[in-house]
Amino acid sequence: MQRTEHGLSQEIDSLRVEALEKLTALQDATEATEWEREYLGGRGAVTALLRGLGKLPAEERPAAGRATQALRDELTAAFAPVRDQLDAEALQRKLTSDGVDVTLPGRAPAVGAAHPISQMIDELVEIFAHMGFQAVFGPEVETGHYNFDLLNIPSDHPARDVWDTVIVDAPTEEIVLRTHTSPMQARTMERIDPPVRVIVPGRAFRFEAQDASHEWMMTQLEGLAVDRHITLADLKGVLQEMARQLFGPERRVRFRCDFFPFVEPGVDFSVDCAVCGGKGCRVCKHTGWLEIGGAGMVHPNVLRGVGYDPEQYTGFAFGLGIERLIMMKYGVDDIRAFAGNDLRFLRRFATTTL
Amino acid sequence: MKVPYRWLQELVPVDLPPRELGARLTSAGLEAEKYEEIGAEWDKVFVAEVVSVSPHPDADRLVLADVDAGEHRLTVVTGAPNIAQGQKVALAIAGARLIDAYADELKYKTLKPGSIRGVRSEGMVCSEKELGISEEHEGILVLPPDAPVGAPLKDYLGDTVIEFEITPNLVHAFSVVGIAREAAAITNETVTMPPVADLTGIQPASDMVRIDAPDLCPRYSAIVIDGVSVAPSPDWMTRRLTAAGLRPVNNLVDITNYVMLELGQPLHAFDLRDLAGERIVVRRATEGERIETLDHQQRTLATSDLLITDGEKPVAVAGVMGGVNSEVKDDTRSILLESANFDMVSVRHTARALKLRTDASARFERGLDRELVWQANLRAAHLVLELCPGSTVRTWQDVYPSPVTQRTVSLPVSRIAYVVGMEYPREQILDVLTRLGFAPSIENDTLTVTVPTWRSDVTIPEDVIEEVARIVGYDALPATLITGETPRVERDPMFLLEREVRDALVGTGAFEARTYSTVSNEAITLWSSTETGGLAHAVRAEQVVRLRNPIRADEPNMRVSIVPRLIECVAENLKHERTVRLFETGHVFIGTAPDALPNEPATLGMAWAGFRDSFDRFNTHPGEADQIDFFDVKGAVELALARVGLTDVAWARHAHPALHPGRTATVSVKGERIGVVGEVRPDLAKELGVEDVRLVVAEIDLSAMLALRARAPRPVITVDRFLPVEQDFAVVVDRETPAASVEAAFRKNAGPLLTDLVLFDVFEGEQIGADKKSLAFRLTFTAPDRALTDAELGKVRKRIERGLTTEVGGALRT
Repeated sequence: MQRTEHGLSQEIDSLRVEALEKLTALQDATEATEWEREYLGGRGAVTALLRGLGKLPAEERPAAGRATQALRDELTAAFAPVRDQLDAEALQRKLTSDGVDVTLPGRAPAVGAAHPISQMIDELVEIFAHMGFQAVFGPEVETGHYNFDLLNIPSDHPARDVWDTVIVDAPTEEIVLRTHTSPMQARTMERIDPPVRVIVPGRAFRFEAQDASHEWMMTQLEGLAVDRHITLADLKGVLQEMARQLFGPERRVRFRCDFFPFVEPGVDFSVDCAVCGGKGCRVCKHTGWLEIGGAGMVHPNVLRGVGYDPEQYTGFAFGLGIERLIMMKYGVDDIRAFAGNDLRFLRRFATTTL
Repeated sequence: MKVPYRWLQELVPVDLPPRELGARLTSAGLEAEKYEEIGAEWDKVFVAEVVSVSPHPDADRLVLADVDAGEHRLTVVTGAPNIAQGQKVALAIAGARLIDAYADELKYKTLKPGSIRGVRSEGMVCSEKELGISEEHEGILVLPPDAPVGAPLKDYLGDTVIEFEITPNLVHAFSVVGIAREAAAITNETVTMPPVADLTGIQPASDMVRIDAPDLCPRYSAIVIDGVSVAPSPDWMTRRLTAAGLRPVNNLVDITNYVMLELGQPLHAFDLRDLAGERIVVRRATEGERIETLDHQQRTLATSDLLITDGEKPVAVAGVMGGVNSEVKDDTRSILLESANFDMVSVRHTARALKLRTDASARFERGLDRELVWQANLRAAHLVLELCPGSTVRTWQDVYPSPVTQRTVSLPVSRIAYVVGMEYPREQILDVLTRLGFAPSIENDTLTVTVPTWRSDVTIPEDVIEEVARIVGYDALPATLITGETPRVERDPMFLLEREVRDALVGTGAFEARTYSTVSNEAITLWSSTETGGLAHAVRAEQVVRLRNPIRADEPNMRVSIVPRLIECVAENLKHERTVRLFETGHVFIGTAPDALPNEPATLGMAWAGFRDSFDRFNTHPGEADQIDFFDVKGAVELALARVGLTDVAWARHAHPALHPGRTATVSVKGERIGVVGEVRPDLAKELGVEDVRLVVAEIDLSAMLALRARAPRPVITVDRFLPVEQDFAVVVDRETPAASVEAAFRKNAGPLLTDLVLFDVFEGEQIGADKKSLAFRLTFTAPDRALTDAELGKVRKRIERGLTTEVGGALRT
């Protein structure tokens, strides 16, 4: 049987009615996709009609083609809002069902931390780098020559007793665990000519009983600046800058006369207490000041010992205990915590930035 | 050194509160460490006179005393055996806080009026113990007759004892006079020296003293006093000695101690009877010579020690301690007072050799003023004559072979400002130095100072500069910035490397530890001996750096490995933690040669144990597979190595007696072994305190890492513009074939397009045959200049397949 245009238009009409009817009944996105495939897809009903056009007589084809295309356009246009609507409904359902209790705890990433001493060393290295100081490092086992002799602490002098020394078993030479980072003063000056500006962070050891404020192993920061016309006032300026970077811009540094064989004049230096502003409180033991370390002008014998001319060059040196600095800044009350490595202590420094 | 404030005030008229003077002296270099208040509790105790004493109606041993303290006049009941009419006593009234003399430990009680055997007692006459002055409680404290009745006892007898730290340079302040001089200089006052004996007209001896070792004894003086009587010292002296921390003995011994505290010159009193021929010969000891010192110890001496002898036998160790054979006894009638100067190094040497540090040796070894010798002896003689009525000086001799030379120091005036960074007016410089006892003058811009003999510590211009600066004080010193050329700041490569490694490991959730640098013998045997092969380092026995005086006797060595200490920390932490990831970077110590410094290679140690993830709602039922194992630490080490650009890393199974034979590997970079990663044998881990979880350790030689890093070429960093293509391969190989070999075969055959490779599955099962395993890799291919085509990748895939077959006997699963 030959197809006629009339028969086709009937077919188009019934397809339209059927498709539009089903369209209004669609429930969700899956059905919508199914509907789209059934009517508009490559193997769908409208496509089938278009394919069937070839069987029509040639003169009827243009009109039939237009009518079929019109159906396709009509169904496509009708489908779009229905699909959008169903997508929107689907999204809304997902958003509703997906909700969580936002007060539940999050996934905790594993968090570690550098040791507080390392953090403080990093900070000090940075502070002093801005002032032109280079960080240098040296051996922890030292000769008496560097640890004492070159620092103007001769053997058979009572000054040597001040450093309770852990001694290495050597047949004849005096070899010790360095009692301070000061040996690096001589080692540095032997290596380079002035101007010298170095800091030396590192371990030092004393033959000392341990308690809440004494530790036989400690970490020190040594500082040394040698040039023409370096003054005690420069020392105060550098230490004040350090104190302000560490403890706040208002801090002041106080010098008091003190004795260390490798400096002359020698001082101890304190920073006014940041907690009470110098008025006196528990932290500063009601003195208003926190003692930080010892310092002074490099002794001419030390300069001479490394071949510097003390007439030409002057310099300052200072030393401080890094554990003490952290204890002051964070209110740590027992120095033994630093070598204790208890995670309950170390963890505190994962969240606090030094 | 402890100094009663009233003693100080006797020598210099300062009226500052003790703590204020202490603070000012501290600023000037004489640190006041401690203050001890005597009489702080004596609020309701007064000087009183005993008006009358009458018997107690009801008790034989008690008396009633009528006591007058001006405003207060009370009747007290007392059992004191020594109370007598007319005495000046310390009267405590109701409310006074006194020490309970009958309590075993220090305890205060508050005095309340009460009745004793029916008689009302309204106050108490105090013993020294009740007042906290001494332990004396036999009788009441009897005050001198001139004590002012009615005065609060605190005003009359109270004091503040200041304890000063005497640093080694402060020999000139190691005495009450010395501290008075400092106080005078900072308060602009003058010191009054205590009175001394006048020996005018007394015939000196010429052969009483002989010095055979003038190099060790530059001066020796002796004064002989007859008619002395040994007795307890007067209250004022015992009180001062006690406050200064010395135990009173008898008047003669106390005088020598008193003068030592007052002037800083140690003295000794010999019983003249015990000196053969009544003479003194100062000489070196002979080898092995013996003497019994005052502490009743037999001392054996050497030729480097100096002895005081009477020509026949040793009677004292010079500068250290006297001998028992010539000490002052109760029946001593004549004494020889010694005041001498001994060589500081020799005294120090002897005191150390004898392990006998005394108040005398502590002073001599700081280098005393030779000029002080005679002055101190005259002062002691004055006190002997005063405290022993009827005694007389028979003779004296002062042998002074090496008189001190007066030192002068000169410097340009401008040098002071050049060093300190602050200008001082010339008048101020001269004034300060004069007040300290120097004789300064300025001529043509040169400052010349004559140094007083007691200031042996002032020898160079810087010492003079400090004198000016410390007395003026440092508060006025400005804070300036360094001028001049700023040196180039170079960053230490090891410091940077350690920081990068640390950052990488912190990123894995690990905590940095810092442990002591010492370890036990067992730790070295177990981990680091050459028999074990060591971790990052191994040592022979003679390479261990041993300590003569370790802090802990069981840890006498410097560490060769950081791991043993870290394991201790892990075990300790596991008592309260479920995950412990610790690492440390630091020096380890490897001996080189006798008498030489050891090598100190920087080393990374790691010790991890516990559960990988925290316990929370995401990990509710962790099992064994969730425990940290070898691969966690391996991954962290790989990350750290990659962080510093070391990616050519090889792992090979390794044997170490402390480590799991199947879960231990060496780490090598470019063929060089730099460390070990491994799980501790479970039996050993348990012994070390880690149970039920795997204990994984690692040690890497950072010094080697740094050297390798320096040689590693710096990779060029590019960002690819074309999308990568990922392809998965599953290859079946023999079970024993190392994954690394399979990976190497992939890398070798994949060609330059391969940009990433991940092993994402390891499978064993019947499907693939016994003794086989399947390894699944995801390979990422990227070309820098084009999108890759299927054809291109197909060729690569074929090449890989062939390579796997020939190189590792592998077959691709499809």
